Amino acid sequence: MFIKLLERIQLTIGVLFLLVFFVTIIIQVTTRYMGISAIWTGEVATYSFIWSVFMGASVMLNRREHFKFDLLLNKLKGKSKKSLYLINDLILLVFTFALFYFGIVVVESFWNFTWTSLPQMKMGYVWISIPIMGGTMVIYTLNHLIQNIKNFSGEEAVK
Amino acid sequence: MIGLLLTGVFIVLMVIGIPIAFVIGIVSLIGFMNIPYIPEALVPVKMLNGLDSFVLLAVPLFILAANLMNSGQISQKLIDFALSIVGHIRGGLAHANILVSMLFAGVSGAAQADTAGVGKILIPNMKKQGYDTETAVGITAASSTIGVIIPPSIPMIIFAGLTNVSVGALFLVGIIPGVLVGVAMMILVYILAVKREYPTYQRASLKNFMKKFLDTIPALMTPIILIGGIVAGIFTATEAAAFASIYTVIVGMFYYKTLKLKDFPKILVDTLTLSSLSLFALAAASALGELMSYYQLSSWVEQFFANNIDSKWIFLLIIIAFFLFVGAFMDAIPAMILFIPVILPVANSFGVSPTLLGIITIMTLAIGLVTPPYGLCLLLAAKIGKLPIERSFSAVIPYIAIVFVVLLVVAFIPGIAMYVPELISPDLF
Amino acid sequence: GCGDRVTGGSGEDGKIKIIAAHNQTSPENPYQYGMKEFKRVAEEKSNGNIEVEVHAGTLGTSESELVQKLKLGGADVVLVSPGFMSKTGIKEIDLFAMPYVFESYDHWEKVVDGKVGDKVAKMINKKSDNDFKLLGYWSAGVRHYYGKKPLHSIEDIEGMKLRTQTSGAIADYWEATGAVPTAVAWGELYQALQQGVVDASENSYPYFVQQNHHKTENGKYITETAHDYTTRFLLINGNKFDSYTEEQQDVIMEAAQAAVEKERKVVKKQEEEYKQKAIEDGAEVNQIDRQPFIELAKPIQNQRAKEINTMDLLKQIRELK
Ligand code: NA
Ligand code: NA
Repeated sequence: MFIKLLERIQLTIGVLFLLVFFVTIIIQVTTRYMGISAIWTGEVATYSFIWSVFMGASVMLNRREHFKFDLLLNKLKGKSKKSLYLINDLILLVFTFALFYFGIVVVESFWNFTWTSLPQMKMGYVWISIPIMGGTMVIYTLNHLIQNIKNFSGEEAVK
Repeated sequence: MIGLLLTGVFIVLMVIGIPIAFVIGIVSLIGFMNIPYIPEALVPVKMLNGLDSFVLLAVPLFILAANLMNSGQISQKLIDFALSIVGHIRGGLAHANILVSMLFAGVSGAAQADTAGVGKILIPNMKKQGYDTETAVGITAASSTIGVIIPPSIPMIIFAGLTNVSVGALFLVGIIPGVLVGVAMMILVYILAVKREYPTYQRASLKNFMKKFLDTIPALMTPIILIGGIVAGIFTATEAAAFASIYTVIVGMFYYKTLKLKDFPKILVDTLTLSSLSLFALAAASALGELMSYYQLSSWVEQFFANNIDSKWIFLLIIIAFFLFVGAFMDAIPAMILFIPVILPVANSFGVSPTLLGIITIMTLAIGLVTPPYGLCLLLAAKIGKLPIERSFSAVIPYIAIVFVVLLVVAFIPGIAMYVPELISPDLF
Repeated sequence: GCGDRVTGGSGEDGKIKIIAAHNQTSPENPYQYGMKEFKRVAEEKSNGNIEVEVHAGTLGTSESELVQKLKLGGADVVLVSPGFMSKTGIKEIDLFAMPYVFESYDHWEKVVDGKVGDKVAKMINKKSDNDFKLLGYWSAGVRHYYGKKPLHSIEDIEGMKLRTQTSGAIADYWEATGAVPTAVAWGELYQALQQGVVDASENSYPYFVQQNHHKTENGKYITETAHDYTTRFLLINGNKFDSYTEEQQDVIMEAAQAAVEKERKVVKKQEEEYKQKAIEDGAEVNQIDRQPFIELAKPIQNQRAKEINTMDLLKQIRELK
C-alpha cells in the first residue's frame, strides 16, 4: 500500500513539473514575440524538467521498466532466477544508496547557491531532487528485495 | 588496466540484467572511487548537470507530440492515407508500413513511438492478410528507424547540442538519406512481394484518395511547419517541439475530434515515464563521460588516429564500425554523449564536417535500434508480434542491409545528403 | 593513457598534481594561454614537484559546473566570472559585472591590482569559508554591442532582443536602455543570431569573432559601447592550498602572477587582431558617444551597490578613475 501511494505521489509530482516546464516554454515563445523580457523562463523550464526526469526515473525503477538486457533472466527458472534478481537488487541497492548519500553531500554543499535569473531562489531546491530520487529508489529496491525473499520458495519471481 | 576492469564490470552487470542506465552509473561510480582526491559526489553532480541544457527539453516534448498523435488516432489517418497511395501495389500493406513511417518521421523525433503506434495497428493487420509474422515484425521495426533520420529527430538535437552545429542544418541534412532509406526498402519489399506473392490491397478510387488526402492534410502540415519554422528561425528546436504538441492537440481535439480531455492524464504519464528512461540514461552517461575526461581519453584517441590512420575514409569506416558495435548495446543518446566529444576533434582534423559526422553517426546508431541485444525498436516490434528476438532479428537483416548501403553512400558521397540543405539554406554551411 | 592514475592532492612523495580548468574549448582562447603559462611556470619552478593538468572545456563548458567542482574537489584551479561567483552567495561580486563600472583598462587595472582588489580577494576567501582563494584577476576583454544594425545613439537599442547575461543587475541595466534582454546559451547563440531568434548580442572581440558571430545577419554591426571591462577570477581551492608545503605555495603564487600577466597581454593583443579580422570579414565597426549609457548606469549601480552593501567599494572604484 505504502509503495503504491509513494509511487503515485512521485508520479504526480513528475507530471506537475512536466506541465510547469511545458507552460514555461509557451510563455517564453509568446513573450519573445511580444518583445517582453522573461529571462527567468529558461531556468524555470530547465529545473522543472530535471525534477520531472528524476521523479519519472525513480517510478520506472519501481516498475522495473528501465531498459535492460534480459536474455539471461529469461533463460533462468525458479530459484536460480530469484537468486539472480536478489543479486541484481542488492547491487542496485548499493548504487541507489550511493546516489542518496552523495546527493545529500551535494545538497549540503550547494544549498545556498542561487539561481541566475531569480537570485531569491536557492539552487538547493534543484539539487534536492537527487537525494529524493535516490532515497525513493532505495525504498523501492528494498521492497523488491523483501518481496522476493518472502516468496523465495514460492512459484514465480516477483518482478 | 582500470579501463579493462571497468569494461569487464560493464559487461558482467549488463549480462546479469542490471538496467543499462544503472550499469553506466555504477561503472562511473567505481571509476571515480579509483581516482583518489576526486570525490564520488561528482557522479550525482554530473548527472544533474548533464540534464541542465535547454536543448534537451525538446526530448519529452517530441515524445509528447508522438503520444498525442497515437492517442488522437492521427497515426491511423496516416496509415489510411499511405494505404490509399501504395496499397494497390503488390505487398501493399508492407509498402504502406514503410511509407507511414516516413510520414510519421516528419512529426516524431523518436523511432520507438512509431514502432509502437504503427506496429500495434499494422502488425496484426498484416498477419490477418496472410503475411508471415517475421515479415510484419521485420518491416515494422526496420522502417521505424527512419523516424530518427528524417527530421525532426531527438538524436540530431542531442548531436547538435554536443557539437554546436545548427539543429536546423542537421535536420535538412537528414531529409534525403531518410527518403532514400524508405524508397530502397520499398524496392526490396516489391522484389520480395513479387517472389513470395504478397497480397495487394484494393486500389483506392480517385475520389476516395482525394478524400483521404484532404483528411490527412492537417497531419501532413506538421512536418512542414516544424522544419520550416526551425530553418526560418521562427523558433528553436525546443520551441518547435512545444509547438508540435500544441498543434497536434488542436488538430486532434478540434479537427479530427479524436482526442478527448480525459485522454490527457494518461498521455502525460506515458510521456513522463518514457522520456525519463532515455533521459536518466543520458544523465548517467554524462557521469561516465566526465570520468573519461579525467582520464583524458579524448587526447589518447586523438593521438591514436594521428599516429596510425591517415585516410579520412578509413576514419569514417572505423567510426561506422564502432557505432554499429556500441549501438547494439546502448541507446543512441548515451552513446553520443560518451563518444562524440572524443571523436569530434579527430573528425575536425580529418576535415570531416560536423554535419556529415552527425548524419553518419545518427544513421549508424539508428541501425542499433534494431540490432540485438539492445535494439529498442526490435524489442518493441517483437513484443507486439509475439515473436522471439532471434527470429525477429533474422527477419530484420535484409532491411538493415539497405540502411547500411544507404549509409555508405551518404558517407562517401557527401554531396547527396548535402543537396537539400545547400539548396534551401546555403549560408548555413 | 587509460592506466594513469589521476591525483589531485599531495601524494606520499610530496609531489602534487593540480587540475586546472576553464570553460573555453578553443585552443586559441586567452584563458588557455594563461593556464598554459601557469602550468609552465609551476612545473619549471617546482622542479617537477608540481604537475598541472589543464582542461580546456573538458571538465565542463559551464562556469557553474566549474565552481561546483572547485568546491567539491573535482578541480583545483578554475576561472570564474562575477555572475557565477555571486551565485555562490558572494553577492558583493556583482559589482564587478555592472555595466560601466570601469571606464578603461587603466582604470580596471588600478582597481583590481590595488587596495580594492586585495579587499575583494580577502572577502572571497572569508565568505566562501576558504573554499575559494583568489590567485589573480584575469580579463575576458572589453564587451561591445553587436547586432543587426549599428547604434548611433542610445535610442537605437529600443525594443531590440539582446542576448546578454541573465544575472539581475545586468539584465536590469539593459532593460533600462529599452532593449529586451533575452537568455540564449552561448553555444546556441550563433544559430540564434543567424535565424533571428535574437537581434543583437554583446561580448568582446576575441570571444564573438572566434565563434563567427560577426558573420551572421544579426551580428555584423559592431558598436563599441565598451560597457564592460570584464573581470575573471582565477581561483584555487583554499583548503587544498593550505595543505601544500610553503615552497609549493610560493611556486603556485609565482605561477599565478606569470599567468595573470600572460593572459592580460594575450587578451589585449587578440582584441586588436580579432577586430581587424571582423572588419576584413565584412563586419562594420562604429564608435558612439558613451556618455548617455554611462549616465543611465550610475543610478542602477548605486541601487545595486546599496542592495549588496558595497557602496564604499563602489566609491573607491569611482575615485580611481
Ligand atoms: Na523524425
Ligand atoms: Na513502419
